[in-house]
Amino acid sequence: MTIAVLRFPGTNNENDVLRALSLIDGADPVLVPSRKGLAGLEEADAIVIPGGFSYGDYLRAGAVASVETITEGVRNLAEDGKPIIGICNGFQILTEMGLLPGVLLPNKSARFICKWIYLKVCDNTTMFTEGMEGRVIRVPIAHAEGNYYCSDDERESLKDELRIPFKYCNEAGDLDDAFNPNGSIDNIAGIINQKGNVLGMMPHPDRAYRPILGSSDGLAILENFVRAIK
Amino acid sequence: MITKEEMEHARTVLGREPTETELGMLDVLWSEHCSYKSSKRWFYLFKTKGDRVTLGIGEGAGLVDIGDGYLAGVAMESHNHPSQIDPFNGAATGVGGIIRDVISQGCKAVGLMNCLRFGHLAKPHNAYLLENVVRGISEYGNSVGIPVVGGELEFDDSYDDNCLVNVVCIGWVKPEEVVRSSAKTPGHHLVMFGSTTGRDGIAGVSFASETFSDEEEENRGAVQVGDPLSKKIVIDTLQELIEEKLLDGLQDFGGGGMTSAAGELARAGGTGVEIDLDKVPLREADMKPSEIGISESQERMLAIVAPENLDRVVLLLEKNGTPYGIIGKVTDDGDYTAKWHGEEKARLPISLLVDGFPVPERIESKVPAQTESMAWFKEPEDYKKNLLDMLGSDNLCDRSWVYSQYDQHVQSNTVVDLGENSGVLEFPNGRKLAFTSDCNSFWCLLDPQQGTANSACESLRNLVAMGATPIFIADCLNFGNPERPESYGQFVESVRGLGRFSNDFDIPIVGGNVSLYNEAEVDGETKRINPTPQIMIAGIFEKGFTPVRRNLVSPWANIFLIGETLPELNGSEYQRVTTGRVKGIPPRYKPEPEKRAMRVIQEAHQKGLIRSCNNVGRGGIAIALMKMALRSEYGFKLNMDYIPGTANSLAQRLYSETSGRYLAEVTESKQPEFLEIVEKHGSSVCELGLTTKEPVADFGVFSLTMEEAREVFSNGLKQYME
Repeated sequence: MTIAVLRFPGTNNENDVLRALSLIDGADPVLVPSRKGLAGLEEADAIVIPGGFSYGDYLRAGAVASVETITEGVRNLAEDGKPIIGICNGFQILTEMGLLPGVLLPNKSARFICKWIYLKVCDNTTMFTEGMEGRVIRVPIAHAEGNYYCSDDERESLKDELRIPFKYCNEAGDLDDAFNPNGSIDNIAGIINQKGNVLGMMPHPDRAYRPILGSSDGLAILENFVRAIK
Repeated sequence: MITKEEMEHARTVLGREPTETELGMLDVLWSEHCSYKSSKRWFYLFKTKGDRVTLGIGEGAGLVDIGDGYLAGVAMESHNHPSQIDPFNGAATGVGGIIRDVISQGCKAVGLMNCLRFGHLAKPHNAYLLENVVRGISEYGNSVGIPVVGGELEFDDSYDDNCLVNVVCIGWVKPEEVVRSSAKTPGHHLVMFGSTTGRDGIAGVSFASETFSDEEEENRGAVQVGDPLSKKIVIDTLQELIEEKLLDGLQDFGGGGMTSAAGELARAGGTGVEIDLDKVPLREADMKPSEIGISESQERMLAIVAPENLDRVVLLLEKNGTPYGIIGKVTDDGDYTAKWHGEEKARLPISLLVDGFPVPERIESKVPAQTESMAWFKEPEDYKKNLLDMLGSDNLCDRSWVYSQYDQHVQSNTVVDLGENSGVLEFPNGRKLAFTSDCNSFWCLLDPQQGTANSACESLRNLVAMGATPIFIADCLNFGNPERPESYGQFVESVRGLGRFSNDFDIPIVGGNVSLYNEAEVDGETKRINPTPQIMIAGIFEKGFTPVRRNLVSPWANIFLIGETLPELNGSEYQRVTTGRVKGIPPRYKPEPEKRAMRVIQEAHQKGLIRSCNNVGRGGIAIALMKMALRSEYGFKLNMDYIPGTANSLAQRLYSETSGRYLAEVTESKQPEFLEIVEKHGSSVCELGLTTKEPVADFGVFSLTMEEAREVFSNGLKQYME
């Protein structure tokens, strides 16, 4: 089961993702530089778009990467129902591509934020959160543009269609503005597409996969992702 | 600028007038920054050798054996002057430069640290500098994808016109992949790659080797501009070149640009170089050859490539889309020759160019003597208010406003992130290393030698408290104008202090940098920074050992104080906060008691007796304890009536900054074994009190809740920055 881990120029979390996936039975992660174009995704059964600063984020975060040829391949796999995760900059790229609704605005503080946060996992079952329903997990964030925003219509359908797997909270699972690190609407930390096979999230499950790093809660998300590959 | 004497010397050696291009080259390479002409003569005082040292001072990074076929690499540097002029770009390129130093040795870069000094934030310009320096470091380091794992911040008026930005990069490499900075074989090609060459940073080192004048704005063109995206691509490209063993030598373009990079490669290899300046990929078409030779444009590397590897190197550079040029060859004539469309623009003997400067005379004046007098000392009228004032003061308060802007977890090796005694990284061999840095510039101002050695002791205790054994030092020595005897006296005394420490504790110094001329003319008066020798120390943990943090972890445990407390409050934070200034003889450097306390903590850690541990440093016992409690769920209840040493009032006991002390949380059942160890090593100990379930700091005579303390502590910087 080949998992393509995309690297655009400026992506810098590819090794975090490769290391985390290599701990999961059955996963065969392969680094795919974006310059390979569509050919780079021929063998892929699933895709991770890792974090970083693709093309330096010199324009809008993720904007340049989202128009590269290889993204056509990402789109095709998404339509085929293959599992896809975009983490941090990867989430930004997925929204820029239009595979996920909304945008990621600069943090409310206008500054980059790196810290450990808690996430409330939604009660409904999704491809990525099976077995974690309703739990509170601990993972780090590191971003300057993680303030999720979308139109009222989109917000309603995200809610109605149960497409918000992760929200910022405190250790006890309370959802309050005070525990929202970046100002995102409804404390949204991650969303999925209508089909349920594309996940975008700002926090880093790829940096919380061994207890020595402070948490292994992120591993469960990646394990679900691998299990979903058929 | 080049002095009259140096000009004479160059004329005599050459037997002719130097050309314009040559003059520019000499000016840059003979600057203090590149030549260390005032400082190098004292380095013999340092301990530089050790069993683990594979590569000492002199190249891009020091390399130290950490076992199982891995070396740790470290480099430390200042980027002070550029950051004062253009804080965002100055700080960003400081980070860029130090990463280049480490990767040019073949290392993978895995960690960054930064040590910053500013004037007090009540002045808006200082808040502007802090905001933008932090943003510069953050945007650059985060983009390149290297976590920040350590740092330090101090405020004093003396930095109003000279902020300090010192940066550290940590890496690792396997011995067989080490690339040396030398060009040994005539006929090999010089290949530059990474970025194009522009007019940014022209002669930046000469600008950094002078004091500031009122015309500082004119120097903006001497500040380089960083490009983290290009750097990330350079890092990825370099990794491929090194894995295929295609490079015979490598040097980054740092201070002094091409002249320094190529000159040092030839110097180290005992060869010469011939460079076609017209083959350098340019950003601006109309650049003069003299400018190309000394431009400090960022993100450029200079590789030595054997003819048989050239095609493969070019292929990899093309594939990664990085700008490159095959700009010349290694020669056997011992000269640095620069040509422009075939015409010779410069031809200087390497021996003259690289370190052939006439050694300047420098005069060391005696540092003014201080007294023991503590006439200024008064007990506070309100102990609680006093402690809250201390906790909120800018040199003690919470630094998370700064470090939350740095990515601390990228690469997934970070075991302990910021806000602890040291940052801890896991290396590929499974070994964990701790990194810390310290400098108390107030102690160093009052007594540069003792202050420097004692600052190093604080770094040492930061490591020991976590359970690490110190293995190497890197330093960055920031001082005023060496041409003034007062500044030079401070510098030499400080070097003596660091030399003593490194020998007393047997820890080799493997890297460093000297930044002089950190003074400004303000209204006709010289304003000089406090002597600021930044001392970074790395420590290694035994296999399988879990680093011990300083947060209290259990209620009803004993809190022990190890070491004696003397009435050493001159130069202390208590003196600064209560009187607004520092004076007197600062806390003394006492290597023997320091070693005894260290051995106690080390042995107790080996036996797993300590649950949490802190170094007693700036702000004394009171602040050390508060820092143990502030990020925990617990409080403490103390009795300060009986503590070893001669401090004889409550405030003296709370705030004395005597060295060689630790606080350790030990559970009841481990207490007898712990006390045995203290006795065995001949250290002093007392039980200060107990940890409590209630989040209250109870000092006996007075108490405060953690909530009150937290609010003041966390607001210290934020009140100026948000």
